[in-house]
Amino acid sequence: MVAEVKENRIVASSAWIQSWLNRLGPVLGLVLVIVIFSFLMETPGRFLSPNNLRVVLAQTVIVAIGAIGMTMIIISGGIDLSVGSTIALTGVITALGINHGWSPTSALIAGILVGGFVGVVNGLAITRLKVVPFIATLGMLGVARGTAKWVANQQTVNMPDNWLNELLVMFPNPPWLLVAPGVWITIVLAVAAAIVLRNTVFGRRVFALGSNEAAARACGIATDRLKIWIYGIAGLLFGLAGVMQMSRLRQGDPTVAAGSELDIIAAVVIGGGSLNGGVGSILGSMIGALIMAFLRNGCQQVGWPNYIQEIIIGAIIVIAVAVDRWRSSRVVA
Amino acid sequence: MRRIAFWFTALSVIAIVAVSCTKPDGAGTNGKKKLTIAVIPKGTTHEFWKSIHAGANKAATELSAQGNQVEVIWKGPLREDDREQQIQVVEGFTTQGVSGIVLAPLDDRALARPVDDAKRAGVPTVIIDSGLVSDSFVSFVATDNRKGGMLAADRLGQLLNGKGKVLLLRYAEGSASTNEREEGFLSQMKAKFPDIELISTDQYAGATRDTAKRASENLLNRFGDQVQGIFTPNESSTAGMLLALQDIGKAGKVFFVGFDSSQTFIDAMKSNQLNGIVVQNPFNMGYLGVKTMVDHLMGQTVQKQTDTGVTLVTGDNLNSPEIQTLLHPPLDQYLK
Repeated sequence: MVAEVKENRIVASSAWIQSWLNRLGPVLGLVLVIVIFSFLMETPGRFLSPNNLRVVLAQTVIVAIGAIGMTMIIISGGIDLSVGSTIALTGVITALGINHGWSPTSALIAGILVGGFVGVVNGLAITRLKVVPFIATLGMLGVARGTAKWVANQQTVNMPDNWLNELLVMFPNPPWLLVAPGVWITIVLAVAAAIVLRNTVFGRRVFALGSNEAAARACGIATDRLKIWIYGIAGLLFGLAGVMQMSRLRQGDPTVAAGSELDIIAAVVIGGGSLNGGVGSILGSMIGALIMAFLRNGCQQVGWPNYIQEIIIGAIIVIAVAVDRWRSSRVVA
Repeated sequence: MRRIAFWFTALSVIAIVAVSCTKPDGAGTNGKKKLTIAVIPKGTTHEFWKSIHAGANKAATELSAQGNQVEVIWKGPLREDDREQQIQVVEGFTTQGVSGIVLAPLDDRALARPVDDAKRAGVPTVIIDSGLVSDSFVSFVATDNRKGGMLAADRLGQLLNGKGKVLLLRYAEGSASTNEREEGFLSQMKAKFPDIELISTDQYAGATRDTAKRASENLLNRFGDQVQGIFTPNESSTAGMLLALQDIGKAGKVFFVGFDSSQTFIDAMKSNQLNGIVVQNPFNMGYLGVKTMVDHLMGQTVQKQTDTGVTLVTGDNLNSPEIQTLLHPPLDQYLK
């Protein structure tokens, strides 16, 4: 399928409706999850209370920021398994920076840049060494995790109080922010990323790359350089997610976020992203992240044990991918 | 369109499963205020936490019998030993509006903010097992680790008749509870048995049984021919040292006191390869954690710190009924 063909489908009016319905799927899922849990709850008022919504939003931030980067990578036909390790590494780096007497702002920037660096190295391994993304980033998963433990001297890195700690608090200061500052940052980033993906040349190229790499190259896109950019930009976002994680723990923890790459990939997939590349949306991924956060929160408040939670989230991922397969097979036909 | 149908069916299936899983309870709360206490361990699979769970349930049963409806909700972090996951559990209970939280914090700093937030939202917290750097909690209910180390020092000192060469294999850098055991051991040794020479006190066993065995082998290589007494401050370091002693045929030839219990240790005590273990009382910790919280909620003043007890187990008292209930708490009775 050439990219043009897909664009033509979107232009056609019936396809227009179809695409909106596709986008509505995850929204409907989210609404259903919230409604179902409200019915199950003894006190639905608590579940839907501003405080609980605040908490769920703050809990979504790390996965959501990661999912913004991951959406770009998955649309381009790639995958990144090293996110969890990158989050741990950048969190540790930021905490160490603050301990070295850097200002919180410089430590924040350092954390983000280290994330970007990890992403660029991933991109180089994929393009220059010709290692498939799954393997290249699987390797980075180990390398970044090990580096995090090494620089942290195998301990958590505690640091003096600083304003980064306030990024994801339950009661924001000043109170008129309503939700934690990190939530606002996430919303701004998501909107920016959605605009970039939809309305810029760069965004079009990302879709083209994921739809058909050979065709994209034939059209004159420097695919290797594009990939390095994509992994690099996503890496910057993973770095920011790492700073957010540090803010929540108030320490750099080299063992944190193990396995969170799977949460992030699941958010993108639940939100309609296709692991075959070429399909996905930021809005969908954000909703995917929210669905998982509400599921966790809801399961806990209803009083289910952890294993039921794990089974439900696992089942939803499989169902979402089944939908993806079913849809892409229809497109080919 | 068919995609929506797909989503709808999928979620309906989940909904049906969900509804059928929910127990039709909530009945039986006639008049009296019902207290829900969330108990949050560090993990859920280890025996230690199961004992705490059983103890918490025992407290709930007893207090309910006295007329305060008390319900214990048991919930560990989704990924065991993951601080972020434990924070999410604390936050979830805070907004759910439970009456109180009993928490074994995975980290003495990372869990401070959620506990502060809980206090601001009107949910008090009792800390069990490990400390928290915060002044937002009601009470700290835990093992007096210092005392545990001192018990071990007393035992070794008596076995050696107050003189000889002793080594201490520490657990890991930065672990607060074991550090207190080590300091308690050292201070008691120096104060009560001045003629005992401490030949090595600066080596660390590391996190696992495997690293502990390697560290023990290295230590025994250096001091094996002169050492007469050994203390190790937790389960993995004791297990590693025991294995190393068995390998070089020295087990049973030096006096060895460990910490925490396991079936291996009990067998080793029967064959005199281990001369004592200091054990904690997690069952009592769970019990007192919930009881302290309920006392606080009923408006009574509670102690800022409560010791849940440490006991020295030796080959002599191993078969006494008290020690047997300590080593094998009645889990089946309180965990359905």
